[in-house]
Amino acid sequence: MKKRALAVLMSAVMAASMASVVSASDFSGEDPQLEKKIKILTIWAEDNDNGILLNKICQDYKDNVNPNFDWEYEMVSADDLRQKIATLAASNDLPDIFAYESGAPLVDLIEADKIVDISEFMAETGTEEFMNPGAAELMKGLSGTDELYDLPLGLNVEGFWYNKALFEQAGVEAPKTWDEFEEVLAKLQEAGIQPLTTGGSDKWGATRLINAYAVRANGNDIMTKAANGEVAYTDPGLVAAADKLAEWAEKGYFGEGITTVDMNTAGSMLMSGKAAIFYNGSWFTQNLNDESANLAGPDGIGFFNIPVIDESISSSTSYSMNCGNILAVDKSKYDEATKWFLKYYMENMGNLAMETLGSVKGYTYTTAAEDMSGYTKLVLDEIDKATEGFAWWEAKMINEISTTAQENVQPLLNGEMTGEEYMQSIQDVYDMNF
Amino acid sequence: MKHVLGNRKAIALFVVPALILYSIIVMLPVLWSLYYSFFSGSPGLKWEFCGLDNFARLFKDKNFLNALSVNGRYILITVIGQVGLGLLLSLMFRFWLRHAKTLVRTLVFFPVVLPTVAVGQLFAKIYEIQPNYGLLNSFLDSIGLSKFVQPWIGQASTALWCLCIMDIWVAMGFYSVIFYGALLDIPEDIIEAARIDGAGSLSLFRRILLPLLRPMIITSLVFSFSGTVKMFESARALTNGGPGSATKSLSMYMYDVSFTYGKVGYGSVIALVIFLLCVLGSIVINLFDVKD
Repeated sequence: MKKRALAVLMSAVMAASMASVVSASDFSGEDPQLEKKIKILTIWAEDNDNGILLNKICQDYKDNVNPNFDWEYEMVSADDLRQKIATLAASNDLPDIFAYESGAPLVDLIEADKIVDISEFMAETGTEEFMNPGAAELMKGLSGTDELYDLPLGLNVEGFWYNKALFEQAGVEAPKTWDEFEEVLAKLQEAGIQPLTTGGSDKWGATRLINAYAVRANGNDIMTKAANGEVAYTDPGLVAAADKLAEWAEKGYFGEGITTVDMNTAGSMLMSGKAAIFYNGSWFTQNLNDESANLAGPDGIGFFNIPVIDESISSSTSYSMNCGNILAVDKSKYDEATKWFLKYYMENMGNLAMETLGSVKGYTYTTAAEDMSGYTKLVLDEIDKATEGFAWWEAKMINEISTTAQENVQPLLNGEMTGEEYMQSIQDVYDMNF
Repeated sequence: MKHVLGNRKAIALFVVPALILYSIIVMLPVLWSLYYSFFSGSPGLKWEFCGLDNFARLFKDKNFLNALSVNGRYILITVIGQVGLGLLLSLMFRFWLRHAKTLVRTLVFFPVVLPTVAVGQLFAKIYEIQPNYGLLNSFLDSIGLSKFVQPWIGQASTALWCLCIMDIWVAMGFYSVIFYGALLDIPEDIIEAARIDGAGSLSLFRRILLPLLRPMIITSLVFSFSGTVKMFESARALTNGGPGSATKSLSMYMYDVSFTYGKVGYGSVIALVIFLLCVLGSIVINLFDVKD
């Protein structure tokens, strides 16, 4: 009799536990093929870069897993992204999934409780293993949160791209230390070659150069400290970095009218041998892989990490890294069907990106691209070398400060502002806001 | 008729629908903006009442003062340029060009119909310096004036002028056509009589044409002022407000503050300033009219 009671009790417990599993929705089984139409807002055209991947993964999901799924793809220009998202967020009408900028802009959305906690989503759906841990660390660092709130769409390193033929012509080699770098620049100029170019009209290309010196001279976390108020933006170490850019511009390293050159033009100047060195991220390989655009050929452009000033302050294996524009998921429209789609996304994005574009997007992958170009390999090797990452100049700045930092880099390049005035202008806006 | 217009109900019937429409489209947003100006943040994201903080901030804000100054200079140069050159062109059509005037008029009017963004791209190419010299710099270079070759829209000292020149080029054709119409309305015999009385070209212009053209000039000034006070798309297309903030207007700053910085309340205060600027401008222009 006792046995019987025990058996009844046990089966009751089992039934109860099964019921609870079913009600808490289990993501290990088959996709329930829920009906759903999601809206995706990005900054990539459907036939370009991440646009290809996002549309492909939606199509694959619909074809292979859930025929009741559908999606609407919308694109805005990168310049308008912040405004668009701010407006949509204000009117509670964010798209299901949208591209956004990591760092300070994303923090606003996190604080306003508008977006989904991705760590929680990954734990619930058991997809943690598909996220590249390095990418996750970078993104958490940028938001300053313990949880992850964004999905990466890139894992990039930044540094200096150089035209090998011009380096040979001037008899110089890729520099390792900052002193060597300055020598290379001077020698290039002596040889009648424009040493540097940057996207002065896009502004961010130029502020990256200030960041390069600031980090190497003051440590990887200098901009985080400045954003937290531990170090003033007018700190002599940061002023020196701004002065460095002004000094280069004054010496004519950028040629004339650099504030009118955009990143694309600067890139083609490097590839066509009109300038020797160009700072940009690993996404630049897209241009380099384009045979019609890259006049330097498949092996004509090289890459070196930001030269080191003092190995103990910022090491040669620490790179400026980022996850590009990221994807965020709107909280109000987040439901079961979205979770299933995102689960599929997590599981397949790494391989898809490697197979179609030969690039790393911040997810683990098991395949290799069939015909990977030399440039793509070069970048993957650099990413492998990285032991530490630091963010870009404006990463930790709120929009108002970052706009000031970018706008005023132009007068700095023109010599209409000194390094001190430039940093002071940033500090002024900081003081007004905090 | 008198009976109908004497009836208050009838007047109400005529006026009220238009008044409601006007209130909804014009007055409501203005009042809404005023209401917003007492808040910080943007609606839905950190939206808090902050009293008069936004107004206090206005006078401390260097960027706002800079945008106000840029906008002021832009209005002054562009309005004088557009209306002045428009007037000169119309005099040229009327008194100087005899045969080719239709062709020239068409050519001068042509930029008016071009989209602003296209014009911006066109002028960016004209002013270009890197990677290749644009039209202006290569012209200067070829006639031996290479010391004047410079980044026209890349430096604060020339960027605003370059922008003004572009906008004058775009709109002067429009004003020349308006003035030409007005000049055709001035009877030939008045001009002939003045000539017989011994009036030279200058005094003919000053004593005969200018007074007769005054209503048209005032209208044109109002047009040009209202077109320039909102300075936005042409600066956006040519210089994007740069270099630095050398060509950043009040509207551009308002847009940044409201939508990029997420401070809709403070943006509303700037919008109110633009509104006041419009009112002030119209008052000043209308002062010329009172003398009649």
